[in-house]
Amino acid sequence: MSVSAAEHLARGAAGRHPELPETTSGTIRLDLRDGGHTDHWYLTIDRQDVRVDRLAEEADLVVRADREVFDRMATGRLHPAAALLRNDLTVQGDLKLLLTLRRLFPGPPDARHPRDVAGSPHRPVAR
Amino acid sequence: MRQELVNVLAGNAFAMSDAQGDMEPDPAAPIGLFSFDTRFLSRWVLTIDGERLHALSRDELTYFETRFVLVPGAASHYVDADVSVIRHRSIDEAFHERITVLNHTAEPAEFTVRMEIGSDFADTAEILRPASREPVVVADTDRRQLRIRYQRDRFTRETDVTSTVPVEVDGRGMTFRIRVEPNGEWHTDLHVAMVIHGAGGRDLRADLESHRKRVHDDMRADLAHWFDQAPHLVADRKALGAAYRQALADLAALRYTPLSYTDRVPVGGLPWAMTLYGRDALVTCLETLAFTPELTPATLRMLALLQGGQLDDYHDEEPGKILSELRYGEAAAFDEQPTALYYGAADTTPLFVVLLDEYERWTGDADLVRQLRHPARMALDWLTDYGDPYGDGYLRYQPRNTVNGVANQTWRNSPHAIVDRTGVVPPFPRATCELQGYAYDARIRGARLAREFWDDREYAERLEADAACLRERFNRDFWLPQRGYYALALTPDGEPVDALTSALGHLLWSGIVEPDRADALAAHLCGPDLFSGWGVRTYADGQRPYNPVGAHLGAVWPSDNALVAAGLRRYGFDAEAAQIAAGVFAAAETLGGSVPEVIAGYPRALTRYPVQLPAAGRPQSWASGGLLMLLSTMLGLRPCGENLLVDPAIPTGYGRIELLDVPGRWGRTDSFGRERGVGRRIRAGAADVGGVA
Repeated sequence: MSVSAAEHLARGAAGRHPELPETTSGTIRLDLRDGGHTDHWYLTIDRQDVRVDRLAEEADLVVRADREVFDRMATGRLHPAAALLRNDLTVQGDLKLLLTLRRLFPGPPDARHPRDVAGSPHRPVAR
Repeated sequence: MRQELVNVLAGNAFAMSDAQGDMEPDPAAPIGLFSFDTRFLSRWVLTIDGERLHALSRDELTYFETRFVLVPGAASHYVDADVSVIRHRSIDEAFHERITVLNHTAEPAEFTVRMEIGSDFADTAEILRPASREPVVVADTDRRQLRIRYQRDRFTRETDVTSTVPVEVDGRGMTFRIRVEPNGEWHTDLHVAMVIHGAGGRDLRADLESHRKRVHDDMRADLAHWFDQAPHLVADRKALGAAYRQALADLAALRYTPLSYTDRVPVGGLPWAMTLYGRDALVTCLETLAFTPELTPATLRMLALLQGGQLDDYHDEEPGKILSELRYGEAAAFDEQPTALYYGAADTTPLFVVLLDEYERWTGDADLVRQLRHPARMALDWLTDYGDPYGDGYLRYQPRNTVNGVANQTWRNSPHAIVDRTGVVPPFPRATCELQGYAYDARIRGARLAREFWDDREYAERLEADAACLRERFNRDFWLPQRGYYALALTPDGEPVDALTSALGHLLWSGIVEPDRADALAAHLCGPDLFSGWGVRTYADGQRPYNPVGAHLGAVWPSDNALVAAGLRRYGFDAEAAQIAAGVFAAAETLGGSVPEVIAGYPRALTRYPVQLPAAGRPQSWASGGLLMLLSTMLGLRPCGENLLVDPAIPTGYGRIELLDVPGRWGRTDSFGRERGVGRRIRAGAADVGGVA
């Protein structure tokens, strides 16, 4: 189930996101570098609604990276914060919005719910 | 014995050196110049004519500025020096050192002044065994600059050292061949830039508007303003005034501006925790609401911004969970540690809600409560949806990252902190008692916020019902009737972990304790097994795992004691709270300087002097903040509607305390307290007596 960033942005990102705070508003432009050319994706976050366009306009936050870096983020295999620290991803503008991206992209595919790790209640768990 | 270390710090940047101002790697301590969890200088050694220097004096001007006066030669033999050197260093986003050479003779003198310069770019996580890196060094005599640059993939860190006067630069340092006139002086300014590369080789921070705003702020004016804004303390007991000013200075020093935010938030503290820790920051804010409330909105907003959004085992992240730790170093960047954003803490999420409510009570800032509705609700929902894995109402933790996650995800975070009286370690998931207190309190407070500010009565009622159930169940399952206290934790199968600990005080603080049981808890907290004379031990004497130098198995933490004392007063144990406050202040005053985060649990009567632990951080936000909270607890400060309630319980020997201009929803107001039993003669040396009249 490997989904590219472009596919995720085209299909999964737009719409209502109740997991976003109502107070988050702003625009994010994603610049996906791929060989010689750059694809632009433009996210408009208005409270919990996200609109996705293909624009190269000015934005509150511009995030630039190789397409492959965005692809790993879109499959939850790379945390945007780690990508930023690694300098695999560069930002310009309001960094607060970068963490919004974390919520718009999925988490790691193999993540478990604490309930599934804890096992059944009131039964001794092996140490 | 290792000689004393000297530091200057500002936010998450610090330089730690020996008493001469020299820096050389030491596996036991993070010596060097650090910023954003990276060591930018590991070698910084000054010689004159090939000889090392010896400090005659040192003047620690502010937390970010120190001046060393030195002469050539070793301390062991007295030299009638005809040359002396002054190193005046300061730190903000960069490090500066002005070197002045003074010729005390009537003849011109020539000297060779040499600064050895090197960087290993170690991550703060690997000080014990720094990895071997091979930075590229560029010596540029024309530009009077030495550049040291480390690169791994696109990750780049660079140290640029520049001199203001001509210098010979080589790959290992800078050499000044100087001539100083009779009774004259020479100086140079060395500027050390710590560069984090972002887009196109520029400093990442330069691209972030939030960071740029801070750079040119005048730090001295800022510090003066900080002191000016804090309440003014007038105390008969002079040492109390000194401890108060030191605590305020520590808190000022330990504020940093995160990359993603404009306002400053507290870091944990020197030397190992110079970054944002959710728990330390939340507790620090809770401790300092009466003094420096401006720390709180920045902290709440920053933590809301970083709130967990996904399930992620490596980062122990769940939606709604509040951050445990945030780091910027190489280990975090390359996921060698989960610390780029680590969420392995079960207490931060309820404490986030507790702080939001408490802040509103003090300041009346309803706007913040409305703006943070979504993160606060996510935090409250986390308690049920993710924090309670068995669905039985108890908040439990179990690390999903078992490789390099934190095993004990509470403030007792050392690996063997949660053990019963005989040393048996319970399995995961663990439901520690103070977590239940925090979760109870968070729901009670969340209900108030929902009703008064979020216009959500239904949610408020649900939270209150959950809180009532939790309280009832907790008082049934955790209570040990034969011992007269609450168990430290419950195992997965509901068996109590029967250790006696200071967590009882946290239970009082959160209000989950049935009033008819509080007497027994107060007696335990102030009894000889828990109370050392300097404060309440984390873990009581008389149990097999007790160890006076075990961080969470017997040592005494000022931050812990601050919550314990507040809890005792909440249940009306004024004398006991005063006894603890007096003990902790006595330790802080006896040691002088910044209060350490932890001292050994030896009985005060045995050692007479507080025994420090080598690993204890100092200064630490929540330790310094703890002193402020203890002061507030002595005065009995509490917001009540639009007014500040003052209900003093002042320890013996303290005389009169005035805390003037306490900020809050009332604007500014004054508070006064006097020890009871006035007219009694206060003995000289009464400081050694813990207790109230």
